[in-house]
Amino acid sequence: MSGGAVLGEDVNKKGLVERTGASFLRVSELVGGFAVMFARILSRVVPPRFDGRQLVVNLYKMGVKSIPIVAVTALFTGAIMVIQAAPLVQRYQAFGLIGWGAGFGTLREIGPLLTALMISGRVGANNAAELGTMSVTEQIDALRALAIDPIGYLVAPRFLAIVITLFCSTLFADFLALFGAAYSCGPLLGVEPRVFYNGVTSGLLTFGDVAHGLVKAVFFGAMIGLSSCYFGLNVSGGAPGVGRAVNATVVVSAASIFVLDYFISFLSA
Amino acid sequence: MSASESHEQPGSHEPVDPEDVPIIPADQRGFVFQLGAAALDGLRMARELYSVFVRTLYFMAYGRKEKGAFVQQIYEQGNNSVFFLTVFMGFFGMILVFQAGEQSKRIIPDLSLLGAQYLQLLVRDFAASIGALMLATRVGAGIAAEIGSMVVTEQVDALRMCAADPIEYLVVPRFKAGIVATTAVIIWSCLIAWLSGLLTAWSFFGVLPRTFANVSMVSVGDLVVGLTKCIAYGAAIPIVSSHSGLSTFGGSEGVGWATTRAVVNSSLAVIILNFFISAAGLILFPSK
Repeated sequence: MSGGAVLGEDVNKKGLVERTGASFLRVSELVGGFAVMFARILSRVVPPRFDGRQLVVNLYKMGVKSIPIVAVTALFTGAIMVIQAAPLVQRYQAFGLIGWGAGFGTLREIGPLLTALMISGRVGANNAAELGTMSVTEQIDALRALAIDPIGYLVAPRFLAIVITLFCSTLFADFLALFGAAYSCGPLLGVEPRVFYNGVTSGLLTFGDVAHGLVKAVFFGAMIGLSSCYFGLNVSGGAPGVGRAVNATVVVSAASIFVLDYFISFLSA
Repeated sequence: MSASESHEQPGSHEPVDPEDVPIIPADQRGFVFQLGAAALDGLRMARELYSVFVRTLYFMAYGRKEKGAFVQQIYEQGNNSVFFLTVFMGFFGMILVFQAGEQSKRIIPDLSLLGAQYLQLLVRDFAASIGALMLATRVGAGIAAEIGSMVVTEQVDALRMCAADPIEYLVVPRFKAGIVATTAVIIWSCLIAWLSGLLTAWSFFGVLPRTFANVSMVSVGDLVVGLTKCIAYGAAIPIVSSHSGLSTFGGSEGVGWATTRAVVNSSLAVIILNFFISAAGLILFPSK
């Protein structure tokens, strides 16, 4: 069970009922922990009581430093979307539709999803590792001893920075993916980039499609931020514990990204 | 790839220490410096990955086989991922069919080919690629965290002291198991995604399962491309993550970095391999 990996307990030796109960309890603990963490972050954000300088530092570390990865992912994603749409378009000879086909999939689904997975891998995992190292080396207790609120100083700026990073990266990735798709149409299908752009702007795609992707990005960012901060702060057991926390972060973020994706697509359709 | 540089004896090839790079003061670093540094980093990384890969193949052919390690790794990578992938591919199938149905209603109100096209897309790309991205986060992070902790706690040095090559002892079982487990788990998750798509199409758009279950569009080429992807991803994820695990340095912070790097690099490897395999598939098996 992947639940076994989440909190690192060995449940395989127990009976079925016990294991079901144990995973239920673990999931409840996780959901409760996330809710408490979210409430605490919110209480630092709404009357702003967090460290602004940390926010800027984290925006740089998370946002600016992720640009190369986001760019590579987006360019390849655009090209892959064209390759996947190609047989369909060739079968019906509907070359004018390729811009719409690739653009629709990219803007609404694949763009936000792949950007979120990459950011969760780079930023989320890194954030969990950093906070985990700090809590293993008792730096967070040291902050408390200095009467500095760890949530306001460490967690809230990181959470906000991840949400803002993911929002901006998604916008950036949407643009680059369409760019990559347009210029891979030529060599792969013999379609001019202009035909592709016509397909994108012909009216079948609206701002609503972009906004749909961006709304998703905000929710994904919130989940990545919450899970990485939660697992980072709750590390125990030295270096292997940090590894386990990072592992749990990426698993839980990826999981919640997919589940949220479904519900947002379903609710806003 | 710097393939030509690495034709030495496999096994004698030590990874380059990243600390060896000459350090230029920060105020003299321009854009060109950063670009060059990034390019050098990329090349060094490619060379190290190549070296790990070649040594893995070498020890696969000539190394000792540790009993049970292969099965243990298949359990770790395969069985432990089944639940995870079942849930996500199920959700993914629902999302995909739901969006595709909504969208094609805007243009052609005929959904009778939805199932056939969905199955083709699933077999050719999405099952393998999305599934492998999920596996890259779960399996990749797991491998890097495990090997990274072993490096930090000097267990890998202890292995070397006992004349057991870490590649032979740690990477080879993960590599072999990765190929088998990834292929098996992805075939399973393809089935799950297809079933959840079928149920979505049935309940939201009234497409009968009989109409949806249409395999006429899946050609041999699609199957070949899909299976090639499974094998390529299954080989790439363990190699890339073992490499980041083995190049861990420092304490718990290093383990965190290694895990991060494993997830990012194996996801990138999946996306880049996907592009090349898909393009090759498009050229080798043109659609009729």
